[in-house]
Amino acid sequence: MHKESEIRDPLILGNKTYHDITRDIARPVEGKANKYWWILFGLSAMLFLWGVACIAYTIGTGIGVWGSNKTVNWAWDITNFVWWIGIGHAGTLISAVLLLFRQKWRMGINRSAEAMTIFAVVQAALFPLIHMGRPWLAYWVFPIPNQYGSLWVNFNSPLLWDVFAISTYFSVSVVFWYIGLIPDFAMIRDRMSSTISPMKKRLYTILSFGWSGRAKHWQRFEEVSLVLAGLATPLVFSVHSIVSMDFATSVIPGWHTTIFPPYFVLGALFSGFAMVETLLIIMRKVVNMEAYITIKHIEYMNVIILFTGSLVGTAYITELFMAWYSGVEFEQYAFLNRATGPYWWAYLSMMSCNVMIPQLYWIRKIRTSFIATFILSIFVNIGMWFERFVIIVTSLHRDFLPSAWTMFSPTFVDAGIFLGTIGFFFTLFLLYSRTFPVVAQAELKTILKSSGSEFKTRSHE
Amino acid sequence: MKTTKKYWKGLAQLNNDPIVENLAQNEFVEQLPVDEFLGDQENLSSTSSSRRDFLKFLGFSTAAATLAACETPIVKSIPYLVKPDEIIPGVANYYASTIYDGRDYASVLVKTREGRPIKIENNATYSNSRVQASVLSLYDSARLKHPLKDSKETNWRTVDLEIKEKLEAVNDGKIALLTSTIISPSTENLIKDFSKKYNNVEHVMLDSTPYDGVLNANMDSFGIRLAPTYSFDKANVIVSFGADFLANWMENEYATDYVKGRNPKSGRMSKHYQIETNLSLSGANADNRMQIKPSEQGFLISSLYDGIQGKTFDKRLSSIVKVLQSNLSKSIVISNSNDKNVQLIINAINQKLGNYNSTISINKPTNLKQGNANKLDNLLSDMKAGNIGAIITYNVNPSYSLAKATEFNEALKNVKLKISTSLYNDETASLMDYVCPDHHNLESWGDANPKYGKYSLMQPTISPLFNTRQFQESLLVWTSRSDYFSYLKEFWINKGVNWNKSLHDGFFDLKENKLKLKRFVDQSQSIKSKKSNTIELEIYETIALGDGCQSNNPWLQELPDPITRACWDNYLTISATTAKELGLSNWNVSNGALNGSLVDITADNLVIRDVPVMISPGQALSTVGMAVGYGRTKAGKAGNNVGFNAFPFLNTKSVTITKVEGKYEFASIQLHHTMMGRDIVKETTLAEYIKDPSSGNHRETYATYKGKLPSDQVSLYEEHDLETGHFWNLSIDLSSCIGCGECVISCQAENNVPVVGKEEVRKSRDMHWMRIDRYFSSDMTKELSKKEKLSAIDMFSEMEDPSEKPEVVFQPVMCQHCNHAPCETVCPVAATTHSNEGLNQMTYNRCVGTRYCANNCPYKVRRFNWFQYSDNDKFDFNMNDDYGKMVLNPDVVVRSRGVIEKCSMCIQKIQELKLNAKKSGQPIKDADAQTACASSCSTNAIVFGDSNNKDSEVWRLRNDERAYDLLDHLNVKPSVFYQTKIRNKA
Repeated sequence: MHKESEIRDPLILGNKTYHDITRDIARPVEGKANKYWWILFGLSAMLFLWGVACIAYTIGTGIGVWGSNKTVNWAWDITNFVWWIGIGHAGTLISAVLLLFRQKWRMGINRSAEAMTIFAVVQAALFPLIHMGRPWLAYWVFPIPNQYGSLWVNFNSPLLWDVFAISTYFSVSVVFWYIGLIPDFAMIRDRMSSTISPMKKRLYTILSFGWSGRAKHWQRFEEVSLVLAGLATPLVFSVHSIVSMDFATSVIPGWHTTIFPPYFVLGALFSGFAMVETLLIIMRKVVNMEAYITIKHIEYMNVIILFTGSLVGTAYITELFMAWYSGVEFEQYAFLNRATGPYWWAYLSMMSCNVMIPQLYWIRKIRTSFIATFILSIFVNIGMWFERFVIIVTSLHRDFLPSAWTMFSPTFVDAGIFLGTIGFFFTLFLLYSRTFPVVAQAELKTILKSSGSEFKTRSHE
Repeated sequence: MKTTKKYWKGLAQLNNDPIVENLAQNEFVEQLPVDEFLGDQENLSSTSSSRRDFLKFLGFSTAAATLAACETPIVKSIPYLVKPDEIIPGVANYYASTIYDGRDYASVLVKTREGRPIKIENNATYSNSRVQASVLSLYDSARLKHPLKDSKETNWRTVDLEIKEKLEAVNDGKIALLTSTIISPSTENLIKDFSKKYNNVEHVMLDSTPYDGVLNANMDSFGIRLAPTYSFDKANVIVSFGADFLANWMENEYATDYVKGRNPKSGRMSKHYQIETNLSLSGANADNRMQIKPSEQGFLISSLYDGIQGKTFDKRLSSIVKVLQSNLSKSIVISNSNDKNVQLIINAINQKLGNYNSTISINKPTNLKQGNANKLDNLLSDMKAGNIGAIITYNVNPSYSLAKATEFNEALKNVKLKISTSLYNDETASLMDYVCPDHHNLESWGDANPKYGKYSLMQPTISPLFNTRQFQESLLVWTSRSDYFSYLKEFWINKGVNWNKSLHDGFFDLKENKLKLKRFVDQSQSIKSKKSNTIELEIYETIALGDGCQSNNPWLQELPDPITRACWDNYLTISATTAKELGLSNWNVSNGALNGSLVDITADNLVIRDVPVMISPGQALSTVGMAVGYGRTKAGKAGNNVGFNAFPFLNTKSVTITKVEGKYEFASIQLHHTMMGRDIVKETTLAEYIKDPSSGNHRETYATYKGKLPSDQVSLYEEHDLETGHFWNLSIDLSSCIGCGECVISCQAENNVPVVGKEEVRKSRDMHWMRIDRYFSSDMTKELSKKEKLSAIDMFSEMEDPSEKPEVVFQPVMCQHCNHAPCETVCPVAATTHSNEGLNQMTYNRCVGTRYCANNCPYKVRRFNWFQYSDNDKFDFNMNDDYGKMVLNPDVVVRSRGVIEKCSMCIQKIQELKLNAKKSGQPIKDADAQTACASSCSTNAIVFGDSNNKDSEVWRLRNDERAYDLLDHLNVKPSVFYQTKIRNKA
């Protein structure tokens, strides 16, 4: 008896052959950029340059050009830092965790998701550097053997843990990403003509590490991928847990919370997937990847967003419950102040963007619409930025002694640096989309239902 | 002698030859041979320097010029050729001296380092913030640097010659000497000598805030035109009608006595009633406070007199009358009224209660206030009539501080010879023909007799910074003598004073003849109650600026007002209800900063436009308050155009207020005014305290497996070893702290705390290492909310509004030096660490400026250097000024941009103390251990010491039942602790 399992929706549309895939993936690298790319690149580069100017101004003049004050010593700087770090979480989750769970749909998106991770971590890493009063001494936060006497870093400080967590995460992500890229670089190398573009050919030859596609290479490739996936998986959880400890280990009501590590990790995945969606929906248009990034991919991610969004909502409510249940008046006031104090609008933005709006994904029509998903993903990005703003600024601005209570208002420099990192992020991503194989084609080819599907389509004709 | 001599360069010029004119027009006598040079191709092509050579030369010279410009700045540091014996670099010298600027008097010790005075310490008396800050005024580069004639620089020779000549020529009128109250016996003598030489001298004394009411009433009652001394420590009951005796009224010394009389430990605590219009510092400390309109004061005082005589009286005073009658001869009743009749009633009340010779000593009067308004009026009319031939002013600024300043300025035009001896080319001096700038107190010799039998001496602690001359020296020169120092020394030696010892001590007592007093006769006339429906005005002085003579002192400008907590401004204080009626409001903008509405104030023919309104709890309904001392126009860059001048309204009773469009931006250090129901300032009443000394001092407990334990006994962490060596502790008594802010200035001077300016304070970036939090009570309490079943949201939002009749508490907060410090664990580079003596230390060099420590500080006492505050034109205060920088304490580093700073518990003083003890081989004496705040505190509210020394005061205080840690539930184990506030109320 012939039993055929239910047909899953295909992850690659358009009856692609292996060669089609190769051609499609290599096209953005080999061809010329279209109009959209140039417009986006121009915009991003402009924002980036503005950000550089604002950073230069800050370092040249002092942190005083920001809106921070004696009570709210961290504001947009650390908000942006945590936001970017959070965004950097989806990539590794997609490539590592989903690899371990054998989720084949990750193959269409893992390359770009991971590129996004790395670029987001670059943005994030900027902030701890420039938020320092004396950034030229930033190397002091590394345990570098020195001749200053007995000076050493303070291993008690969560900021130091941050340094290790982020640098580890960044390096593992880069290595993992690069390993995946090798066969694809080799593919581009092989297609390059050494007479027409000798420089490019040389470049991709170096980048592809002498990959020849032998069985031994493939075997090692698979093994290393699995090992790195195993290494990267705990990092997905550790990085944001440690970032959350910047707050959780403090004494400030609203920061001093034991649920922060899981809460932050969930929030990070939530925001990471939203940013992946924002990017991919743009990218599939700009570099013509409609066949590889399908509505199916989007739907799967929407389900994750719905799930993590609901968990984040649960965390918000747990926080409120714990504040009430603790009986600590400072804790209670901190949360009451979040919801009803002068920053109620930030809390409302957070609640609506992160908890309520993603609930729309219960509706299949919305879940499977590119436009709706794009809009909702923007909402989530905004909501998650506000979450960090709420945690940082509204906790600080009214803490223990009312005599020190004040407010925070950003300056143009605060805004300029934030926009600058968005510009920098998109600049990097757009450059990447023109020089890197944006889809892991070697892996993708393993899920092309070539023979069976083709046979079926042909037999129906 | 007119000269007609003419000099000429050549015969052509002598003969007025046109060629001279032609040549003068042409820079080059001959045409430059440019064409010739460039046209000679042959020569050019054969020259050895090619185009490349030219570029080489150009490049070299540019590079050389650039390199030559890159020179390290030269800081001149000149060693002593012959080192003075008393100066050892690095070791401070102290000189006993006196500060008196015509308003504030203090006997002080001046700390000098390498010949520079850098700090004022208290000596025989306590001082105030203005005295503390006067050391910075010494280095004010806005001071006059040479004598002026018609506003132009000149020299003393010219000035003296001309002045003497002109003074002798005055024969058609009097020579007026307009001075502040003179308390210097030798100066009085000098003025007598001066009068003898020019026998038509009229000496008029002037107090910027007049006390004629008190003085004239005493003249009538006792036959002396002086104010009595008050012993607030001996009084059981203090009733003050508007007199802010803890801050600015009459003398600066009352606070010390006042707090001595309020010692709950001894069980004796005076009961203080304050009946006033504005919420003053005294009102804020009072046990009972009543808000009245200024026009009611006379009637109430009269009614009080009726009451204690057993007649019918106003019911509002019933408890006061009762308590006064049961404390005969143990009370003080005072009033700030400048009405002689009101003061006569006050005298009658005190006489009736038997307070004279008990708590009030009229036979030992104070000399600090002697201004005479009648004499001043006569002088003004004489000036107008042209009867004044010359005027010399000293220590006064009448063109600014007189209510009739415009009249004075007008009348001044009729005076032929006008001389000022001001330190500054101020509002008055700039109208004068000659300005003969006086020395600063710290550059001067002098003496003072502040009160009966008490004397102090003033000695210079630095050689004059500028080409100035002491007023007394000028008087001597103008009477053809010289050398005030010899004069002064001789003056006192002739009186049998041990000059060397007195100069060393700074003060001495003299036996004086008993004053002849008139027998007291009650001359008071009762005052009827009268209703007024107008808005009434009460003028006050702020604790920072007083009458504004030190307006150009940025420390004082940035010292927040103890009540409103705003700095760099004066404003119209108004109650919330009255403000609402007039449509006025205060509101916070997005960064929290305070804004206020603007009004025009008019009264009779006076008007001030665009005055900002500050809503002040405790202000009586339908009244407004305004501070003098602001609105200077010729004070210097820090003091000019800060606020508005309220002196023209000095004698104004009622005003009209009209709202005008626009808003005003305040710089307020504290934006939230209530404790929000939190246990921050713990307080109790005297009766409760006597029953249980630990009343009100509830400790947070935690449930553990051992049962409920106080928070400090529950810990997960290893303890620092605090038993060995020293354990530096600071105790702050909230009952003794009156909130005056002297410690803030003292700390600023000791620790080189920068001034950041109004804009930065507005952004909540003040840099003070210690602040005095002021909390108002709210009408909403947790109990009330429970009773009314309010939701938490409603409760907290109502708690944010201070009561309109608030109780006030002051709480000095500096780094608490936690022994489980939240800041220490979070610093990634270990820039803030714990000492084994209980101190939380900050290593500026190591700080990278993450500000995590500041966020994690529950007390928010850490300050970040948002900008470079020294040598930065954007912060053009004393640290951007070569003179202003001379005040810096060389023992304390000036912090750079990007690092955190905070209270170090004056680690430099501790270190000095330890080194001295080590050298002398003696254990540290408890009294020697001082921080800047503790040593300057007039009320001894701040006590510093070693808690491991069981004989120390601070150890005793640590174990007092009243001692508590701020935010004790956090269990951060501070080295700073507080004593509960105790009010003497039912």
